[in-house]
Amino acid sequence: MKKPGFLLYWVGTIVLCIVGFYVTDIMAKNQGVSDKLPEKRADRIIIDNMLSFGPLEKASVEFLHDAHTTALAKKNISCEACHLREKEQFYPKFKRLEDTNREAVMNIYHDGCIACHGEMRKSGEKTGPIECDDCHLEQKKYSSSRLAMGFDNSLHARHVQAHEKKCETCHHEYDEKTKKLFYAKGKEGTCRYCHKEQQEENRQSMRVSSHIACINCHLKEQEKQKLKLPVSCAQCHDATERKKIKKLDPIPRLERNQPDMVMLKTGVEELDQLGKNRMNLVPFNHKAHEGYNDTCRVCHHQEMKKCNECHTLTGSEAGKGVNLELAMHKRDTDHSCVGCHAQQYEANFNCAGCHQFTPRTAKMSERSCAVCHIPLPENVKLDDTTAKLLLEARPEKPAEYAQEDIPEKIVIGKLAKKYEAVDFPHRKIVNSIVKRIGDNKLAAHFHGDKGVVCSGCHHNAPLTKQPSGCSSCHGPAFNDKDMHKPGIVGAYHLQCMECHTTMKIEKVGCQDCHKEKSPKPAPSAEKGNE
Amino acid sequence: MSISRRKFLGWMGVAGAAASLGPESARAASTKEFTGHPDSYGVLHDITRCVGCRSCEEGCNTVNELPKTGAPYDDTSVLEKKRRVSNTEYTVVNKKVAEGGPVFWKNQCNHCLEPACASVCFVNAFEKKPNGAVVYDASVCVGCRYCMMACPFEIPTYEYDDAYTPEVVKCTLCAPRLEKGLLPGCVESCPTEALIFGKRDDLLKVARARIEKYPNRYVDHIYGEKEMGGTSWIYLSGVPFKEIGMREDLGNTAAPKLTSGALHVVPMVVSLWPLFLAGMYGMAKRRDKIAAEEKADAVAMAVEQAEKEAAKRLSLAMDKAKKEKEHLLKRVERAKAGGISSGATTSNAPTREEGSDE
Repeated sequence: MKKPGFLLYWVGTIVLCIVGFYVTDIMAKNQGVSDKLPEKRADRIIIDNMLSFGPLEKASVEFLHDAHTTALAKKNISCEACHLREKEQFYPKFKRLEDTNREAVMNIYHDGCIACHGEMRKSGEKTGPIECDDCHLEQKKYSSSRLAMGFDNSLHARHVQAHEKKCETCHHEYDEKTKKLFYAKGKEGTCRYCHKEQQEENRQSMRVSSHIACINCHLKEQEKQKLKLPVSCAQCHDATERKKIKKLDPIPRLERNQPDMVMLKTGVEELDQLGKNRMNLVPFNHKAHEGYNDTCRVCHHQEMKKCNECHTLTGSEAGKGVNLELAMHKRDTDHSCVGCHAQQYEANFNCAGCHQFTPRTAKMSERSCAVCHIPLPENVKLDDTTAKLLLEARPEKPAEYAQEDIPEKIVIGKLAKKYEAVDFPHRKIVNSIVKRIGDNKLAAHFHGDKGVVCSGCHHNAPLTKQPSGCSSCHGPAFNDKDMHKPGIVGAYHLQCMECHTTMKIEKVGCQDCHKEKSPKPAPSAEKGNE
Repeated sequence: MSISRRKFLGWMGVAGAAASLGPESARAASTKEFTGHPDSYGVLHDITRCVGCRSCEEGCNTVNELPKTGAPYDDTSVLEKKRRVSNTEYTVVNKKVAEGGPVFWKNQCNHCLEPACASVCFVNAFEKKPNGAVVYDASVCVGCRYCMMACPFEIPTYEYDDAYTPEVVKCTLCAPRLEKGLLPGCVESCPTEALIFGKRDDLLKVARARIEKYPNRYVDHIYGEKEMGGTSWIYLSGVPFKEIGMREDLGNTAAPKLTSGALHVVPMVVSLWPLFLAGMYGMAKRRDKIAAEEKADAVAMAVEQAEKEAAKRLSLAMDKAKKEKEHLLKRVERAKAGGISSGATTSNAPTREEGSDE
């Protein structure tokens, strides 16, 4: 007979197994929580200031700023609880004006956070943690959805109105001698010209300076005028909250003595005269471009100056060696004319059908050059009036051939094997492309010559009423003697299908263009115009 | 004349050593960079152009006269599930839904410049042809399927349903058609030129030009230019290759190079082992010889000494006998003078006296 001890041993083992399973199961479930996407918040700040003193000893701390301000506001506690003042203005750092040393900064956080949490806990209120590892978490609970604040032209105009055109409220210059800020009329630039990503000497970083300036002013005005102005993180940095910011329509023009329409010059006096420059000087509609962009910084990216002051004809140190030609024509930047214009058609799916086939390496055509470098009439002054005249003479709509000159239908059937010949609705397609161009001014100027719209499909063909057809260049099959050019079947499919896909025209299935061949082959279908 | 086993092994060893040390040998050349046969052909698959119509699958099926086993070729619903090549489908198109929409890409043998399948095959059933095709010879295949294990692209398949004469099956780059000057079936039937056939060097130039012309359209990488030492099929894509399931962890070293180091030791062993054994044998032999000589010397010395001793003893015995003889002669003379009777009783007495002399 078995001993009772033996039985106990087995029962114990089984119980242990079951308990073990439960424990691991619960642990797995707990881990499952952290596998979920963390909640996104715009007010999430990572406190890792100690990094400036070397590597962190414990994990950085995640801090929800808006959660703290709302909780404290309920208890009528203001910013003062956490932020010191410097010259009457709250400073963004927690209970200090600067990071002195590791020990001191650490103590400020530990004393400040734990003391407050502890007191609230004692009085039975809901509060934050006081244990080390409850704040210093390796695995963070939230992720940041913070967007950089965009101080666009509309917001600028609203501030101009609110401050009754007192630009000095925000704009200032720094005097090296007196070490003081002063206002210089007519020299206003954007904040970022001086306040960079990081602090430089005694110039605060953009982040610090903007928070001091914006929030303190908002707090003050709020009190004075009993207004509701944004002071929380989310109001400026959260995508949904930011949509609530009122947009002016139309946006009043910014006043900084900028021209309306102007002849762009090289900055070399003898070249900036009629007939002296081999390239026609470009008339530029400054006023219109102010409306196309959110901020002046898009073009005036470093300083509020004329382009040619830094980007000289031969390049200068101030222009980082980018000469005037490159500054205007560089393809892969949004500061240059060509770069920004290219981005317009790249971002617009209505343009994609034709423009997706424009190679990045393609040389601009003579015709494209002349759209900006407009031929100058004789005996004109190179001044703003001339610029205005030239600009206003430009086409407002893309040029078109008369409807009867556009073939209505083309039967593509030379290669019909499996399918019937295709009835290609040529005129309908042309009209649809023109309709999509709509009243886009950029497109109108560049498609101002007859035949330009046609060249979307009839690429490399001369701009005539009857440009060469597809099979003029594309042979019946792929030719390994000219590997960069598809054969006719490839050319049709690539052009048609990719245009349909990028322009969001749903029809891309085989049967959308091709009819399945009926068992009796129709000989007439084999004959086509193409 | 008969050859002993020992002699035969000796000759083999010498031959092996010569083969591995010879400067013109094939093995020595294989450690150099091999960038493919000059003017070999390949296919450029531009994934951004593929529309997932499955025409290539149909073309492959037709020209290779394969059984029609799957769904009809105009049924694109099969693309929803990931497929791999099989013994009746040398090529399959797969679909991957990426951020900018669905991406289609065709899968088949990549025809490596230095194929892993060929390097593991111990009967040389696979061969990289100068035209680029990696072809299979069923007549020598023993069915070990090492090739299937070795291929990093999971291409060779096996006719598991054939009980008696199963073969390894994979895309042939339509090698028989290439010899007739025809295009591979898939390339011929592609309506969008997502597949173009040409000299690999030219295709690389075309691929590079497309990337340069349309940097927004392509990722800046030509898959197969360097992967696994280079493949005859090269690819362009608009999304990272890893995202559509093409392996990016393969490295740029051809599979045979990974093992060539270890395998090069083999001829070394074959050539040096007999030499080593012969040396060991010679040493043993010499040791025996020296031992034998030493033994002979020792024996000779011992014999010499023994002889000397014997001679000494002999001369002593001779002296003694001489003395005895003289003594006896004296006694005989004395007895002649004294009388015969007394001579007989005293004959032992001089012997005892003589004995005390020794």
